[in-house]
Amino acid sequence: MNKKTITIIAVLVVTLLLFAGYKTFLSPEIVEGDKEITIHIINEKENVDETFTYNTDHEFLLELLEENQEQLGITFEQYDLGVMITGMMDYQADPNSEYFHTYVNEEDAMTGPGDIPLNDQDVYTFELKNY
Amino acid sequence: MKARDVVLIGILGATITTAKLTLSFIPNVEVVTLLFIIYTITFGYKKGFLVSMVFTTTEIFIYGFSTWFLVYYVIWPMLVIITELMRKRIESEYGYAIVGAIFGYTFGFFFAIMESFFYGTAYGLAYWIRGIPLDLLHGTSNFIIILVLFKPLKNLLSRLKVRYYRA
Repeated sequence: MNKKTITIIAVLVVTLLLFAGYKTFLSPEIVEGDKEITIHIINEKENVDETFTYNTDHEFLLELLEENQEQLGITFEQYDLGVMITGMMDYQADPNSEYFHTYVNEEDAMTGPGDIPLNDQDVYTFELKNY
Repeated sequence: MKARDVVLIGILGATITTAKLTLSFIPNVEVVTLLFIIYTITFGYKKGFLVSMVFTTTEIFIYGFSTWFLVYYVIWPMLVIITELMRKRIESEYGYAIVGAIFGYTFGFFFAIMESFFYGTAYGLAYWIRGIPLDLLHGTSNFIIILVLFKPLKNLLSRLKVRYYRA
């Protein structure tokens, strides 16, 4: 067996040991539905003010919304910069004058739902607003 | 810079993008690190740096904007600079394999730093810890790929470089 083969085998063995160490000591234990998340939808035009609570392991808001797309009546639109919410509770925002404003714990969201991380006990509010 | 150099940078950028897409079905196994190291050694750090800019910009066109592209604009030029600084000290492919391995093992850590700026330190730390298995795979696969492919690819590119500039 030449030197390179021996080196490769040695590196693979060390990697496997490190992986085993990670699984034993560092790997996060996944608990089903670890985070409790609240989705609050406000649409004064349609007299909608509804709150939904979910237990989830998803990392980002978009994943949770996609999973519950039917219940929340959401429509998305894919843009180059990411995904935008164009409709909620089966109401389609008029793209010329309306949009769904997103709040995270009552503060304006700085990014789209694809980049908003889900944290336990967070409240994500979507409110129909005019431009 | 001559027109021939500009064309070469475009071609090298395209090869890296193609190589990445070809292996994209295997998580964190790539030949991009190997190619950046070899391109820097063969064509110099200036071209290597410009190729990294072409590569990252092309990636944005393919995958869209997100926080990762900020890291890409730093991490690939950084690999080019490290390779340039190490090339006089490294005598065999083993040295470059170690450079590639360290680069792969710390790849997620650099992303975690950027994620921390956007989402907080706790999220950055969780991001890094959850990605450790993928970083292990990345570093080890880099080591093996560079150890096996560095010499033949370097020899081939050196010959092609002579022919390209002589023609």
